[in-house]
Order: sequence, then structure tokens, then C-alpha cells
Amino acid sequence: MSTLLKREHIIYGNLTQQAYTIDTFLGAGTQGEVYRAHANGKLVAIKWYFPHYIQNDLPLRQRLENAIRKGSPDNNFLWPLELVTQPNNAGFGYVMPLRPSNFKSIVDLMRRRAEPSFSALISACLQLSESFLQLHAKGLCYRDINFNNVFFDPNTGDILICDNDNVDVNGATGAINGTPRFMAPELVRGDEPPNTESDLFSLSILLFYMLMLHHPLEGKKEAAIRCFDQSAMNRLYGTEPLFIFDPQDTSNAPVAGLHDNALVYWVLYPQFLRDVFTRAFTTGINDQHGRIRENEWRVILINLRDSLFYCGCGAQNFYDADNVKQCWACNKDLVYPPRLRINNAVVMLNHDTKLYPHHTDQTQKFNFSAPLAAVNRHPQDPNRWGLQNLGNNAWTITLADNSVKIVDSQRSVNLAAGIVINFGNTSAEINV
Amino acid sequence: MIEIIKRPGGAMANRPLHFFWLADCSGSMYGEKIEQLNYAIRNAIKPMQDVAADNPNAQVMVRAVKFSTGAQWHIATATPVEEFKWDNLSSNGVTDMGQALQLVAEQLDVSLMPERCLPPVLVLVSDGQPTDDFSAGLAALMSKPWGKKSVRIGIGIGQDADLDVLQKFIGNPEVKPLQANNAEDLVKYIRWASTVVLQAASAPASQVKDQVSTGVVPIPQAPAADIDTDDVW
Ligand SMILES: Nc1ncnc2c1ncn2[C@@H]1O[C@H](COP(=O)(O)OP(=O)(O)O)[C@@H](O)[C@H]1O
Ligand SMILES: [Zn+2]
Repeated sequence: MSTLLKREHIIYGNLTQQAYTIDTFLGAGTQGEVYRAHANGKLVAIKWYFPHYIQNDLPLRQRLENAIRKGSPDNNFLWPLELVTQPNNAGFGYVMPLRPSNFKSIVDLMRRRAEPSFSALISACLQLSESFLQLHAKGLCYRDINFNNVFFDPNTGDILICDNDNVDVNGATGAINGTPRFMAPELVRGDEPPNTESDLFSLSILLFYMLMLHHPLEGKKEAAIRCFDQSAMNRLYGTEPLFIFDPQDTSNAPVAGLHDNALVYWVLYPQFLRDVFTRAFTTGINDQHGRIRENEWRVILINLRDSLFYCGCGAQNFYDADNVKQCWACNKDLVYPPRLRINNAVVMLNHDTKLYPHHTDQTQKFNFSAPLAAVNRHPQDPNRWGLQNLGNNAWTITLADNSVKIVDSQRSVNLAAGIVINFGNTSAEINV
Repeated sequence: MIEIIKRPGGAMANRPLHFFWLADCSGSMYGEKIEQLNYAIRNAIKPMQDVAADNPNAQVMVRAVKFSTGAQWHIATATPVEEFKWDNLSSNGVTDMGQALQLVAEQLDVSLMPERCLPPVLVLVSDGQPTDDFSAGLAALMSKPWGKKSVRIGIGIGQDADLDVLQKFIGNPEVKPLQANNAEDLVKYIRWASTVVLQAASAPASQVKDQVSTGVVPIPQAPAADIDTDDVW
């Protein structure tokens, strides 16, 4: 096959003068080709642009230089590190970190070739929200959030965001308008150029896809379309967008047999998640001010992960207020484990639950490296469960009879109904 | 170890996309040209399968028609792209292109097509001029709703290809027939039609400004021809 660069070709970094040797062709997209290359025994990825693309996107070089100067918003981006060129070749490209093979695409998730647990999946959603927050906070706009630009590790929920060469200062005019099915309606209609608010819409679409394995606007209206062509897409995603679970208008409800994933997953998740998606795709659909922002997604997704618990059959289910539900896997009535009410959230106390700084202090950033508490078993009596203090500060607990005790670091408190734990900044009550 | 099911539901819902090759096997294709076409299509199978595997919106089904004196199905049953294989074509006879369009038109009848689909993709490859009633074939194709909605690409092989006919087949002045003057271009165009166009018909990639619209779906730019003259027919 003919590619723009070949094995053993050498290209040079503009900043470091580093010589990179091309190893293998990894794939091609609409803008260029991506290769694996090495320098000093280290592997990197190189994107090399099609000559016709360079001609069509004149600000490309400048945009990349800006991105390289600014640096990656956080570690989850396969961010451009430096431009690369080749002597006697007008073309150019850029170097970025190589994506490790344990990362799978969102397409693998949609086709069920990658099967994360709910908790890993929610972690991936959470990290996506955090990373886009970092990018937007820098005044940048991503412009092309879609299936093919996000990768995740199905075991851990770690994510990587690639294709960062369209990223630009919010408001700048650029070459890419987005990807159909992910573009905000105002972009599909051609009313507005991409901006941070349209990124937020695309993020909501991606999160809905990841959690429900379905598009939030594909219901009866999609079912009624015989040939799914450009004009159909313009209607569905641009001029007549209607949420499939719009509480006021059921004319685009999911159709059993065609949109089963939407029907299966929607009822599985807690009401607070349904509420936020409903806002994202009702008020947020035409009003840019109604878009769900990343910090709200972060809180929602943290709460969502905290509401996970295990059925006796091993399946992960979600706590949804005190409604009795059946397990999606074995159909038995679900039995809730003990849980902790902190502020307005409920954290399920599973055998493997850990509490982190943000749980006990709302001013703390999310940081999952050092847990403050973990559910454990009594060393002598395996039927007794407790919450162990893994932090440095003692907790004060108030028992049901109003007596007060201290739980020093490394000690545990029984998971018994009515116990109130004062963590210092916040109190929480154990419910069973 | 029993693998417990981690999450319910099935794969994301998608639609079939019917892809048709229409290959010229007339006598003038004899020798190198037909072998180069066979090679180019075989070469495109893996990239086509990769693109399809990366596209959760489509379930790609492939068929092929050959035409010379008359037209016949080369691959008659809609074959999932994962199972698509190419048996080499041989050539002789005249260029009954119109009959090939008739055959495809029959299959695109609403009674034979699934109820809900993505736009079909038709790729016509020819090195000459039709010897039968091309217009009647095209009219038959365009009389079918699925024919009208199809994305049509025309590839001419060599200098004698009738680009006007291919342009009529395409039916959109903004999309030009591709003229392959050497084996390398043919490989490139066949690959482009079976990957980029296939993708565009179901899940258009990132929307680059100013891309050509075929009316049915936007088609990204075709690769440039090589002005390399080594391999000229
Ligand atoms: N850093 C990377 N490491 C490994 N593979 C990559 C990397 N970046 C891109 N790729 C792969 O290269 C191919 C083309 O890249 P992509 O960025 O989608 O191109 P385009 O933006 O032109 O559409 C894809 O298959 C993608 O998965
Ligand atoms: Zn169960």
C-alpha cells in the first residue's frame, strides 16, 4: 500500500532537532496518516498531513504551534509535542505520545468488543468530563468530540483523547465543524461556528452514547426514515431535534425492537442521571446556555459511581432513592447494602467502597490516589463490617443513643444504622 | 472461569449499507487492465473491512455485477463485508453497461430492500463506452427510490473511458469521475471508494469545510492522481 512516509524514513523535530525513525503505519483519517516512530529507543506516534489537507487548512501550522506552546491540558490528551518536517518535503506533521494497546475505542464499546464494568465505564465518563474541563478552562475549544477521538481502558476507565490538532482558541474560525450525530443543532443548521458550548453538547451526546449505547435523538423519528441520508440527518440532528425521553413530547420515543438499548439502560440508572440528561437534551438542545457544564457532569458522575452496588449474583446495579428494583441480570428484588448519606448524596457501602477527600470536603478536587476511608471486615468476625479511617485525623461518631466516641486513624466504626460520623468538615449518617 | 455479564443490552443499533461493484469485463479490459482491477479490489478488501469494523452505524453488505456481452451477478447475494472475497474476473465481449444498471435497479426495488437502510453505494468501473442502451439502464436505476438515494462513484480506466457516461451515472456535477491512467491510481481510487466513500455514506467523518456534497451525503475529496508515468497503459 502506498503511504506518505515509509519505514525507516527519518523526519526531524522542529523544537528538539530530534531525528524520528518511522516504524509502521497505524492508520489514516481525513486529514492525514498516523505512524509509529521511535527516537532514542522511545516510541511515539507521528501524524503526517495529506498535502491537499494542508492546502485546505491554512491556519493549521499556526494552530499546532499554539497548542504545542500551551502544552497539554492534562495527562489524558495525546497532545502535539512538536512539529516534524523532512528535508526536501513541503509536508509536515507532529509528534504525540503513542496510545498503548490496552486502550480501546468507543466504537469497540458500541460494538461490544470492549466490555467495561459499570464502575470502569463511569470512571471513563468522569475523566472525560474532567479533561474537557481542563481544556475549556484554558480558553480552548475542541471542535470534534466523537467516537473516534476518545479511547479508554476497559479495566480501569482511564481515557486518552487524540486528534488534538483541531483544538483552537474558543471563537477562532477553523477547518473542522464536527462530526455528524455529535454536532450541536446550531452547527448542523449552519447557524453558528463551533465553540465551547457546542463542545458541551457533543460531550453530552458522547456520555449518553457511552452509558446507554444509543443516540439520544434516535427514536420514532429515526424509525420512520427509510433512507438515512444527509437530509434525514439534518432533520434529526439539526432542524427537528427531539429527545427520545422528552417528558413533554413523546413523539420521538424509543421504539421497542429498534432502540432497545435506550429502553434497557434508561430505567436502570438513578433518577438524578435521567434528570440531567433530560435537561441536556430539552432545555440544552436549542439554548446554548442550557448546556450541562463539565463540573456538573463531574458531580453527577461521582454520585452515579457512588450509587453502584452488587446484587448477590455479582451484577452491578444502581441505587435509586429507596425504590425497590429488580436486578437487571437475575431479576431478583435488589437488597441494598448499608449506605452513607453525605450532604445530598448517598454512597453505597460495598465490600470494596472507598471514600476520598472530595466525599468529606466539597472544596477538595477529585483525587483517587489516597483514600480517606475503606469498608473492611472485622478481623475476628467476618460477619461484622466496618468503615476504616485511613486518614490522619480522628473522626467523632455519635451513636443512636447519643453517646459520642472517637475513631482514630486506622480504627474502624461498625456499619450500624443511625451512626453519625463527623469527618471534620462534614457529617454523614449510616443507613441500613 | 465463568465470565459474568458486566452490562445488559446489545450492540448499538445500526442499519444495513448495501455496496455494489459494477465492473467492466469487456474485451478491451483483456490482459493487464482486468488483472489490475482484480488486484485493486483485492487490495481494498482489508481496508474496507477495517473501515466497516470501525463504524458502528453500518452493517456493510457487498454485491458485484460484471458486464461485457450482457451483465451477470459476480457476487449475487448481499455478503457481509467481513466475509467478502473477490474471485478474479476475466474479460471478453462488448460493454453492456446499461444491462448492469438494470440488474442493480432490480435489486434496489423497495420490495427487495430492507425497510430501513443507509444510502446504497454504487461504484462503476469501466474502460470504454457502453454498447447497449445506457440511458435506459440509468433511467431504470433512477426510477427506484433506493437508486435515486444511492451514492454513485465512477472510475474510468485509461484514456478511452467514457467520462461523460460516468458523469451521467454519478448525476452530480460537483462529483467528477475519477480517471485512472495507471495501476497505482486505480488502486488508490478503488481503495478510496471502498473506504472513504463507504464511511461517508453511513457515518460521515469530521465535517471539513467546503467539502463536495453529492446531495445524498457529503463526499470527502478524492486522492490526487499520480503524475508518475512509469505505469501508463
Ligand atoms: N497517538 C496515537 N497512537 C496510536 N494510534 C493513533 C494515534 N493517533 C491516531 N492514531 C490512529 O491513527 C488513525 C488516524 O488518526 P486520526 O487522528 O483519526 O486521523 P484524522 O484526524 O485525519 O481523521 C486512527 O486509526 C487512530 O486510531
Ligand atoms: Zn442479580
